[in-house]
Amino acid sequence: MDVTICSYCRLTNDKVVVNGMEIPIQKTEGPWLNDIYRSLKISYPKFFKMDNLSKAGFLASELLLKDEIIDKENPKKDISIVLMNRSASLDDDRMYQETIEDKNNYYPSPAVFVYTLPNIVNGEIAIRNKIMGETSFYISEAFSAEKIYNVAMDAFSDESISQVVCGWTDYELNKCDVLLLWIRKENQNGIPFNINNIYHLHI
Amino acid sequence: MIYQLSDNIISSLGFTSEENYAAVKEGVSGLKYYETAFDLPEGLMASCINDEALEDAFFSIKTKSKVLYTRFEKAAIVSAYRALEKTNINPAGDNVLFILSTTKGNVELLDRNKSKQYESERVYLWRSAQLISSFFGNPTEAVVVSNACISGAAAQITAMRLLKHSAYDFAVVIGADMLSKFVISGFQSFKSLSTEICKPFDKNRCGLNLGEAAATLIYGKSENENLIPEKSVMLLAGAIANDANHISGPSRTGAGLCIAIEKTIQHTNIQDIAFINAHGTATPYNDDMESMAITDTGLQALAVNSLKGFFGHTLGAAGVVETIISGKALSDNTILQCKGLEIQETVCPLNVLMKNESSNKTHFLKLLSGFGGCNAALLLRKK
Amino acid sequence: MEALILELKKEIIEVLNLEEIKPEDIDENAPLFGEGLGLDSIDALELIVLMEKNYGIKLNNASEGRDIFKSVRVMAEYIEKNRTK
Repeated sequence: MDVTICSYCRLTNDKVVVNGMEIPIQKTEGPWLNDIYRSLKISYPKFFKMDNLSKAGFLASELLLKDEIIDKENPKKDISIVLMNRSASLDDDRMYQETIEDKNNYYPSPAVFVYTLPNIVNGEIAIRNKIMGETSFYISEAFSAEKIYNVAMDAFSDESISQVVCGWTDYELNKCDVLLLWIRKENQNGIPFNINNIYHLHI
Repeated sequence: MIYQLSDNIISSLGFTSEENYAAVKEGVSGLKYYETAFDLPEGLMASCINDEALEDAFFSIKTKSKVLYTRFEKAAIVSAYRALEKTNINPAGDNVLFILSTTKGNVELLDRNKSKQYESERVYLWRSAQLISSFFGNPTEAVVVSNACISGAAAQITAMRLLKHSAYDFAVVIGADMLSKFVISGFQSFKSLSTEICKPFDKNRCGLNLGEAAATLIYGKSENENLIPEKSVMLLAGAIANDANHISGPSRTGAGLCIAIEKTIQHTNIQDIAFINAHGTATPYNDDMESMAITDTGLQALAVNSLKGFFGHTLGAAGVVETIISGKALSDNTILQCKGLEIQETVCPLNVLMKNESSNKTHFLKLLSGFGGCNAALLLRKK
Repeated sequence: MEALILELKKEIIEVLNLEEIKPEDIDENAPLFGEGLGLDSIDALELIVLMEKNYGIKLNNASEGRDIFKSVRVMAEYIEKNRTK
């Protein structure tokens, strides 16, 4: 089966690149992910409630799907979101642990706890774009183009799925490492979806 | 054909699937009230694995491994070991793949008081998976699925897909999650726990109970149904769909669950389905949502149950535990009661069972939903 | 009372991460939930934590909160009557 990468987005600690073009970001002293949000001129106040992993995945998906999913309202049953990372939700897990660690200052935070699952980032992207296909999350010790390829191709075993948002979304200890790909069944304009190309887009 | 070769459940109700099934069939619940537990300010109704029994079970396994395993890893290893020992599969073979389903793994090690004996990498799920699969000498990197409360179903769907088109002959699917101050305090902050035994699909349901479990299902494949052992349960289909509604749970209307169910049962005669083993967490919203999805897909006449009144919600283990117990019931021509239910009331009326019944139908449907808005359905059939 | 209302607005903005809203944007008489600020069920739970952490008021469930979180003013009045810190 031929599958094509129709667009891709690479988001790291100092750069945002979409389809090979670096996106200029106005830097402030505030958090980098918030700077990206403001530079994109999106109005989505829920963004500020997200943990870092969801923020990073959300921003990459906005850039990735900007010209692909214009209609945000109608349910889309033919799209799946299949993601992978190294640290699951540990960045947010550590923040939540702080709210319960001290017996004399024990106030477990529901708003932090709700992000202590890696697949919440799939959920955020799904909500934003009304994507109602499969959402799955896998964990791997290190970035693996091969594994990303395999789980994304498996998402097409559901015959009603024609497009998949897939890739690597990791955020831990202030290190952001995201590569999101928008892939389509069939041979179309774009880069062939294969292990070698995924590997090179991550470099 | 993807079929089950062996299974095991480690829970408060026992350390084999057979013990667990026998207890459930008798109507025994593993839930217990803990006045003080996990250093928490509030009491807790939960289903916990007995520590001593787990230690004994672990030390009875002969191993050369010098690794100091965590409680989570020990439970997973004991469960996989016991499932494997009933087969003649060589877990060190390169035709065997381990798949781990968990939501929080060793998360309790984030607590400074608990982490001292372990290296910092032990909080990573892939690290636990490595240690578990290498305990059995397996040469292949384990797959780790972490998809909130539907993880156990997602892992079985992953197993089904991988077996169908890869060189692996067997998939050892382990679902495990332990309780910790981390997990319990979070659910308490959501105000979603009941301090009594939960009441799935009940008029007065007021929240869920948490539970811990490690469970293993070993799947194999065969081109020819005649070669599949008698009484074996086959995994026919499975699907996942998102609600795109809110991260804290599925939609109120069951839209995503409907899609998952429709995809799963599309080639099936509804008359063949003995029962639906629902997620049935006993939160007001979940059970109403499921009643809507079951009705919207035209399955409202089927018998429904939930196993949460026996095991609590075992998170990443739930999909595996509940698939095993439901499979045993199917093979035993039994539909299990929904423990905890007294007065049935959901938005759409359902046929939830208050007593065990017998049925010789051949299929059952397993449902799960979870945070992130994900929903899963599995369809299984006995040979 | 007015000082408590302002304090509360600042706290709500902080704990609910209402990054782009200023205290003067919140009408203390307007409903907190349902419209305007776009708050959801997790926000309501977080406000329950705020009540306990900052004012020593323990609410047992979300439905108790429903009446108290009607508006910032209702919240402030309730806090004034029931606070233990």
